[in-house]
Amino acid sequence: MSVMLTKFESKSNRVKGLAFHPTQPLLAAALHNGSVQLWNYRMGVLVDRFEEHEGPVRGVAIHPSRALLVTGGDDYKIKVWDIRPQNRRCLFTLHGHLDYVRTVQFHHEMPWILSTSDDQTIRIWNSTSRNCIAILTGHSHYVMSAQFHPKDDLIVSASMDQTVRVWDISGLRKNTPNQGGPGGNPGNGPGNFETFDNFSTVKYVLEGHDRGVNFAVFHPTLPLIISAADDRQIKIWRMSETKAWEVDSCRGHFNNVSSALFHPKHELIVSCGEDKTVRVWDLAKRTAIQTFRREHDRFWVLAAHPQLNLFAAGHDSGLIVFKLERERPAFAVHQDSLYYIRDKYVRAYDFNSGSDIGLLSVRKFGSPYVPPRTLSYNPAERAVLSTISSDGGIFELSTLPQGQQGDVKDSSADGKKGTGQSAIFVARNRFAVLNKATQLIEVRDLSNSVVKTIKPPVQTNEIFYGGTASLILSSTTTVVLYDIQQQKTIAEVNSPPVKYVVWNSDSSLVALMSKHTITIANRTFSQHSLIHETIRIKSGAWDDAGVFIYSTLNHIKYCLNQGDHGVICTLDNPVYLTRVKGKTVHCLDRSARPRTITFDPTEYRFKLALLRNNYEEMLYIIKTSTLLGQSIIGYLQQKGFPEIALHFVQDTNTRFELAIECGNLDVAMEMAKTIDRPECWERLAQQALKQGNHKIVEKAYQQTKNFDKLSFLYLATGSTDKLSKMQKIADARGDPMSRFHNALYAGDVHGRIAVLRDVGLHPLAYLTAKTNGLDDLALEILQAAGLTEADIDDVPTFGASSLKPPPVVTPTTDLNWPAVAGPENFWDRALASGALEGGVESPYANGDAGGVAASSALDAWAKEEEEIPDDLDPEEGGWELDADGGDFQSAADEEEAVPEDEELGAGASPGVSEVEHWTRNSPLAADHVAAGAFESAMQLLNRQLGIVNFNVLKPIFISIYRSSHTYLSPVASLPPLHLHVRRDITESAPSRVLPVAARTLQSVRSELAEGYRFVSGNKLAEAQQSFRSVLQSLLLVVLSSDDEAKLWRDTVTAAREYLLGVTIELERRRVAEQEPDNVARNLELAAYFTHCQLQPPHMQIALRSAIGVYAKANNQAHAARFAKRLLELKPDPKIVAQARQRIAAGDRNPRNAVEVAYDEFTPFEICGVTFTPIYRGSPAVHCPYTDASYHPQFKGSLDPLTQLTEIGATASGMPAPWSDGR
Amino acid sequence: MDSSELYHVKQQFILGAYKTLVDLSLPDPNSPDHTPTLLYQARAHIALNNPKAAIALLPDGSSNVAVKAAASLARYVAATDAASKDSQLEDLRDLAVEIEGEDADGSEKDRALVRVLAGTAFARAGEVEEALETLGGATEDLEAVSVIVQIYLSINRPDLARKEFDRAKKWAEDDLLLQLIESTIGLVSGKDGYSNCNSFYTEQIGNPSLSSPHLLTARGVTRILRNEFPEAKSDLEESMEQQKGDAETLAAYVVASGLAAPKKPEVDELWNRLVSEHPEHPLVVDVASKAQLFDECAAKFEVPPTAAARA
Repeated sequence: MSVMLTKFESKSNRVKGLAFHPTQPLLAAALHNGSVQLWNYRMGVLVDRFEEHEGPVRGVAIHPSRALLVTGGDDYKIKVWDIRPQNRRCLFTLHGHLDYVRTVQFHHEMPWILSTSDDQTIRIWNSTSRNCIAILTGHSHYVMSAQFHPKDDLIVSASMDQTVRVWDISGLRKNTPNQGGPGGNPGNGPGNFETFDNFSTVKYVLEGHDRGVNFAVFHPTLPLIISAADDRQIKIWRMSETKAWEVDSCRGHFNNVSSALFHPKHELIVSCGEDKTVRVWDLAKRTAIQTFRREHDRFWVLAAHPQLNLFAAGHDSGLIVFKLERERPAFAVHQDSLYYIRDKYVRAYDFNSGSDIGLLSVRKFGSPYVPPRTLSYNPAERAVLSTISSDGGIFELSTLPQGQQGDVKDSSADGKKGTGQSAIFVARNRFAVLNKATQLIEVRDLSNSVVKTIKPPVQTNEIFYGGTASLILSSTTTVVLYDIQQQKTIAEVNSPPVKYVVWNSDSSLVALMSKHTITIANRTFSQHSLIHETIRIKSGAWDDAGVFIYSTLNHIKYCLNQGDHGVICTLDNPVYLTRVKGKTVHCLDRSARPRTITFDPTEYRFKLALLRNNYEEMLYIIKTSTLLGQSIIGYLQQKGFPEIALHFVQDTNTRFELAIECGNLDVAMEMAKTIDRPECWERLAQQALKQGNHKIVEKAYQQTKNFDKLSFLYLATGSTDKLSKMQKIADARGDPMSRFHNALYAGDVHGRIAVLRDVGLHPLAYLTAKTNGLDDLALEILQAAGLTEADIDDVPTFGASSLKPPPVVTPTTDLNWPAVAGPENFWDRALASGALEGGVESPYANGDAGGVAASSALDAWAKEEEEIPDDLDPEEGGWELDADGGDFQSAADEEEAVPEDEELGAGASPGVSEVEHWTRNSPLAADHVAAGAFESAMQLLNRQLGIVNFNVLKPIFISIYRSSHTYLSPVASLPPLHLHVRRDITESAPSRVLPVAARTLQSVRSELAEGYRFVSGNKLAEAQQSFRSVLQSLLLVVLSSDDEAKLWRDTVTAAREYLLGVTIELERRRVAEQEPDNVARNLELAAYFTHCQLQPPHMQIALRSAIGVYAKANNQAHAARFAKRLLELKPDPKIVAQARQRIAAGDRNPRNAVEVAYDEFTPFEICGVTFTPIYRGSPAVHCPYTDASYHPQFKGSLDPLTQLTEIGATASGMPAPWSDGR
Repeated sequence: MDSSELYHVKQQFILGAYKTLVDLSLPDPNSPDHTPTLLYQARAHIALNNPKAAIALLPDGSSNVAVKAAASLARYVAATDAASKDSQLEDLRDLAVEIEGEDADGSEKDRALVRVLAGTAFARAGEVEEALETLGGATEDLEAVSVIVQIYLSINRPDLARKEFDRAKKWAEDDLLLQLIESTIGLVSGKDGYSNCNSFYTEQIGNPSLSSPHLLTARGVTRILRNEFPEAKSDLEESMEQQKGDAETLAAYVVASGLAAPKKPEVDELWNRLVSEHPEHPLVVDVASKAQLFDECAAKFEVPPTAAARA
């Protein structure tokens, strides 16, 4: 074991007890001065202190699943604490021990607390009932420690009486059926010792130590016990069902051994003692592997994290948290494969398929306790090059077995080894090895012979691949790009020691990672940017879009090329990123297992798009995800895009500020109205004045009652009526100065005089009147003042004044000109077009990526932790993904409003009416009709179904329109409110509302049924009318599904066939009546009628009619044919009899008296105009709506059947609005 | 605080029980309730489109600005020619200006009412801006808010209506009128499937202290909007029984019947009845204009000759 990595250290009073939190980076330390500390060892901060014990605290434990802490001290007390951040307090105290409490422990599943004391007893307490439920007696000296077995009902205890005892407590579990209930143990007072002995018995007494034993513990899985004693030995004991015996001792500590633990994952023992050392032992060989010495401090206690490779040791002046080996798995990524080493096996993991197979054992490579440090993969030769730090640093080159299914081979078989601290492939058949001691880089070929030796230009600690024929050399202060061929430095960048290097997919960018910095550089290092992190940087990978994603101890973050970075998600435990694909991060965890984390790339994609001015992408992101929050607003503002930030802001004050900043007066105005504070209006007025929008200035002045400025503004804009209004207002306010001003501005001499008179300034009034030639008035003033002309002889005479306001040349009142043109930007257009709606809710949220571990419980902690680092990104938690997308819409709506300003309180211009939304939202003619947009409805029908004759549709149009609107007067005497009946009452977003379906397929089909009844009732004229009406109604039916669309088409076809059939029959009757000689035509039409697709009952009518007509004309053969067809329809027995007679007659006399154009054996359509057959293969044109067939010469005429369409016109067909494509 | 009688009168007015209100006998002329009740009665007359009765009711030469405004509104509604309409509007404008002064006549309430009445008249005249201006942007008078909200709704600005309502919510507590305003907004915006409007009207129909066919009509309309056509028809039928010849109810009934059974001939009968009885109703006017639009649009399509066999 060559590494022991200290992760955290604290200085304090002597530490006597330690306990790790099972899921959070917390460590409880019991101090000799009576305090209990709770440390966050990852952040290095003291989270809390518990100081209620008097005297030293020796025992401490954290509950495995609940937020509880138990402590035991020299005050004989055991205290249980709630450690949740919001309510940290002592929950209760257990009294009973009669001397110092040494250790305490929670049971892993029962509500039990185990304690040991110098009173020579071990006690078990029920933490629910808070009673002592068992007292284990037997030790004859202080009991130094006791531990539950991790699975079985056993306890192991260590005592100063030199024994280790194993206790069977299965009786306790059996005898506490009501465990948890306060009344579970009736009569068990603390003094009632005898009763407990039933529950627990000493199973084994382990004798062997010849001094007091300080600590003993079970192996997590094997039937082993280790004990640490003052005889400087660690003993290993084995147990069977019946006995227990000493296996071996570990000797090496040269003073009392305080504690010894099994390594939770490896076959190792860790121990510490008063000889100021922590030692690591091989469990199998019982040999010391490593010793870690401390100068002055004796070690008192040791704790192991239940899951992680973490240990803590308490000593005289504090504690240390350490791990025993590097946990960063060695890995290399090539295309879609990850090659990595887990448990000394080289494995291949496929990112796509997730297959994960072992390929090569490296067990015999270096120390068995040390995992390989790096791995380099050579795809051409399918070779791997790994390094290990044991044995002074060695490398091994071996080839992977060919074929995925091959047996796992051992690298020692053909592996080529050598000394070197860092080794990487630099070409297909070359690799470079760094020897740190000699400072030489050797380039070797695949047979491991040196082909070149390089003396690096700087003190090099590590080498990385630097692109073709180049190396990246990492020194303590710089990183060097070095050309192997020319043996010279290409570039050098200052950086702390670089530990990892990651190239992006096209090798144009490289990320150089050191402990706290990331340098992003291009391939020649000519451009680079630096990111600093206070938290340790662990790993990184490039995203497909060229964003570098990296992991720190507790976050996954992104950084953009120019150096912006932010948090993507929080991590419970560090991971090593291997690959980023879309929303998925592939990584290896600390036990080298491949994992994936899904995250939301929206934020950085948005920022990236912003950097690249890719507005379409930004818009797309806004549309498809909910992108809101302070962070993005702050970011946009900081980056100089206030106008874009405006689209994200909800808060009115911020919105106002931003709007002022980017000169968006409309928004500013809107917000000022909401805020309605004088200072806002003043700022708005200033900004509007700058931009020359005097209407807004006016509005702002009005709001602040800034009459003087308002008057002046009116003067400046030449608004004389407003000035006179101001005069009235001034009158009302009784403010003579304002009246005078306004009168002056308005050029109202009388007004001025009136003011002067009102305030008693008669002389001025007189002079004003006089100089303006108002002698009568002047005289009146004189008289009012009780003077005559004579009295004012001494007043000099002034010439008539021509002073008056200049005439209005261009009335700018109604013009906002000249205005500073606001920059018309992409956003305004995109947003104003109403394209933005509340986007799709993101299905993922930023959060704890490792949601597996009781993450909810960790949330509170996680938050706290995140607040500690000072570089905490503002983005953290800022992505309020839950924000209501609907607000976008309203913002967009406001954009749409034409910012034409009105007077005083009337800041409203008409919005988009509901009917306009209807037409915008639907491609269906029916909806346009309901909206009253008849023109577009007609165009749609014309385009979709070739309708040209609309006059017949007028009643339907009008009735649909009429049915879609209603009125109500909620307020007396106001015109009623126009209300709109919607199709889906749950839908209220303007971008999706649609009118009520006034005509439904159902209602039309009932109309069709009515037509059928007319046919059955032989009311053919009515039937014809009815089918036409059906076809008209079908044009304006709203469909909601594919099934309905199919039904619609079927209905159209059925109506067409009936319409055609009925029309043919009507024609036949006309012929029969008007041209009785034209027997052939009569017969033909009767035959054609039977070729319309009618329902069986109607087909029977057609056939029977045809049989009658043909029989009468003595075309017996034909009549028999019809009769046969009739039989196929299985009619009434009576009809069957008739049909059979007819067939018999036909058989007797198989002749046709009249020659007719009727060939029933060749399929044909019937022309809707001439009612003559169009045999298959003959040219035909069709009705674009019903698809009825016609002879080609009728192309361009009005369809006589429906009287709606132009025969042969092209049409696009009904659109499918239910497949809501937006 | 209003007396309970006055409160009741106000409630009837707000909920559209104009008929009941008109038939009420006025309190003693010396009572402080006299003038407010008189005003509500007069306004009920106007709302029933019977401005003559309102004019008769309102004393001539009253110095109360609100009475003057009500009279002006009545005359405005009664007026048939543009000139006299304009003169009444001018009167109201003068009144609106008059009350702006600091020493203007009338109590704060009267002045607020003047604004409401003037705003109503302006809105009727289509002077939206002027109406909003008169009513003021920061009013704390709920009646004014109700008018403002309806004006906003009529110009398709439910967003502004909602804002106005939200603003009012802060000071108006849970006034009945405020609830009405909310449900009015709901009718237009259609949030939550009109459930709020529906429950508001249902609740008020159940209000024992008054009965107003107007509420039935309102619920009928709400039910139309909720696509519950048979239910809507039954509400509207009941309402029609209580107030014969109400144009609004009949118009809504036409719509409900049309949607319940589009092809029934009685729908057209109802429609013809509406057209002949209430030719002024906006639905009638609107449909008439759409019919004309139809003819214009249809004329743009050239109809080819009908295909004929012997052509």
